[in-house]
Amino acid sequence: MDWDQFDLNPKTIAALKKADIKSVKEILNLSGADLQRLMKLSSADIQCLLRTVSHTLRRNSMLTALQLYQDKDHFTSQHQKLSLGCSVLDNLLKGGIPLVGITELAGESSAGKTQIGLQLCLCVQYPYKYGGLESGAVYICTEDVFPSKRLQQLIEQQQKLRADVPAEIIQRIRFGNSIFVEQAADLDTFQQCISRRLSLLLARGMVRLVVIDSMAALFRCEFGAAQAALRARYLQGFGAQLHSLSTRFRTPIVCINQVWWLFASCSMGVGSRVTPALGITWSNQLLMRLMLSRAPLPGPAPGTASPCAGSMRTLSVVFAPHLPPSFCYYTVQLEGVKGIK
Amino acid sequence: MQREVGTLPLAPALRARLAAAGFQTAQELLDTGPCGLSKEIGISREEALEALQVVRQECHGDAARTPGGPGATRKCTALELLEEEQTQGFIITFCSALDNILGGGVQLTKITEICGAPGVGKTQLCMQLAVDVQIPECFGGVAGEAVFIDTEGSFMVDRVVDIAAACVQHCHLIAEAQQEEDHQKALETFTLENILSHIYYFRCRDYTELLAQVYLLPEFLAEHSKVRLVVIDGIAFPFRHDFEDLSLRTRLLNGLAQQLIILANDHRAAVVLTNQMTTRIGQSQSTLVPALGESWGHAATVRLIFHWDNTQRLATLYKSPSQKESTIAYHITCQGFRDVQPAAVTHSPQGAELNPRKRPRTEEEKQ
Repeated sequence: MDWDQFDLNPKTIAALKKADIKSVKEILNLSGADLQRLMKLSSADIQCLLRTVSHTLRRNSMLTALQLYQDKDHFTSQHQKLSLGCSVLDNLLKGGIPLVGITELAGESSAGKTQIGLQLCLCVQYPYKYGGLESGAVYICTEDVFPSKRLQQLIEQQQKLRADVPAEIIQRIRFGNSIFVEQAADLDTFQQCISRRLSLLLARGMVRLVVIDSMAALFRCEFGAAQAALRARYLQGFGAQLHSLSTRFRTPIVCINQVWWLFASCSMGVGSRVTPALGITWSNQLLMRLMLSRAPLPGPAPGTASPCAGSMRTLSVVFAPHLPPSFCYYTVQLEGVKGIK
Repeated sequence: MQREVGTLPLAPALRARLAAAGFQTAQELLDTGPCGLSKEIGISREEALEALQVVRQECHGDAARTPGGPGATRKCTALELLEEEQTQGFIITFCSALDNILGGGVQLTKITEICGAPGVGKTQLCMQLAVDVQIPECFGGVAGEAVFIDTEGSFMVDRVVDIAAACVQHCHLIAEAQQEEDHQKALETFTLENILSHIYYFRCRDYTELLAQVYLLPEFLAEHSKVRLVVIDGIAFPFRHDFEDLSLRTRLLNGLAQQLIILANDHRAAVVLTNQMTTRIGQSQSTLVPALGESWGHAATVRLIFHWDNTQRLATLYKSPSQKESTIAYHITCQGFRDVQPAAVTHSPQGAELNPRKRPRTEEEKQ
């Protein structure tokens, strides 16, 4: 760290060099008294040092809420969201997936999580005007093989799904070229993937969506009940890294998660309900949680057309800072996932 | 002038040398002069000059300082403190049940901590408070501004717009019902744009940025003297990973807490922090407890725990120096943080066995 470039007293700079302090982080990690002892300066000098160093770190970092609200720039605006490709689903989410933060898609198997993940990988490639981010996607598989046949089907049917987009624009996009598939079946490979390869792709601006399918699979075999603390540390580490990448590159991170059955005894006997896997440690890392479920229909409700007789698929918002708990019905068709009004 | 050398703001090594050389009061230092001083202790003349300048400034400052100024010890009676506290404003939350158990609302000059599982409403309350702190005095508010420090990226400005619009409308309804002149005047400046422009937003991406931001807050609050609320949402997120050495974390958190307390007192602002919950594995069962450890529990003056009971959201006042431990139900609507309709019933503390170490306070028998 080149201390000479800071606006400090030469005496302070000399003391910093002599005490072998190499970074701003080291200075802030020490208390005022420790710094006094280490650098042999008075408390007024130390206060001045702390203020100068903090100023340099936090220069120009203030925004008012009004500025945030009025920001219309594609890259920085909070109003910009990643569309899901269907207007009904977008309305549920008030525009789509937020650009900064980890969004979770939880649900039982065959609820449609991978379908939505693939659909997002295609949606992100559309122009800003049509709810995309004009960039590619990374799909990290931790369990199954990447469903490339299904992806091909979806690509062929894009015109049918996105009737709002003119045909020339869809034809111009080379969907398959911008989806990067990574396999990471264990924790170390996953760690490598997000710390090296992901930051490389994001730094080059080639991708603006990360889909992880799925988080729970990484932790299934390797951790028993006794290693909850170790698992928690891994989860917190991954969560922090993904969060930091998402913030730096304004890229949505969509994590697909499985569900656990919770057997709880309450006053009415033993009941069970489905809850997303990985517990509260993982929930604390999330910005938004969506739950996909399949509930068997009691019988056709009068007046509603039910395309899939027997079970209704529901996409519900479990929590989000900007959305009320709400839900909508959806179907999975050849061209993709579509909401039902 | 009779100030002891040990209390002067000089470098510790220099103080040690002065003590070893036999200097005891500031007056002796000033009498010796720079040449004599440098010869006696063995420091350069420049250093001696500097030291004497500091001493002179200190003594001058001591003489000029009026009692009650910043930094000097203030003497006052408990009666004066009581009167001061009673005139202290509260920031209302728009949920009257919650305001009641807090004794009027979120108190200025105190640190309030809100703990809860994800999705229970902590950020919603923070956004509500950032709007409510700006309510004009004639409507019962403190007419202040808000600083919002976001570490998780959960501040969605569209939601704040909804909350602010509902608050403005609420004030309009009051003004229409009561038809007073100062209400109309206050409403001219209490608009959506004004509210948004007085929420100062800082985004901190890791704990170093958070620490740096808190070092800069006193200066910021001195420049923006109308700020009456500082929100840090959330305090746990940057501190729960990346720490091999937990004692460093405890030390940093303690330092942070001290700085926030001084800030709250000096600038008459309320500090609101949000915390996560973590699982504590006990003998036979596991419970949810606030994160960041036991020692962090001492940092906040008032602690609220938000939790679920099936689908009903509940708020429990877990720690307060003056209010009873109680639980109420609340609602989050599109307009923000609100009461449950009809008005919420206060549950007695016997049911909520959240703090087994505290004796539940019982109602006094009234004649």
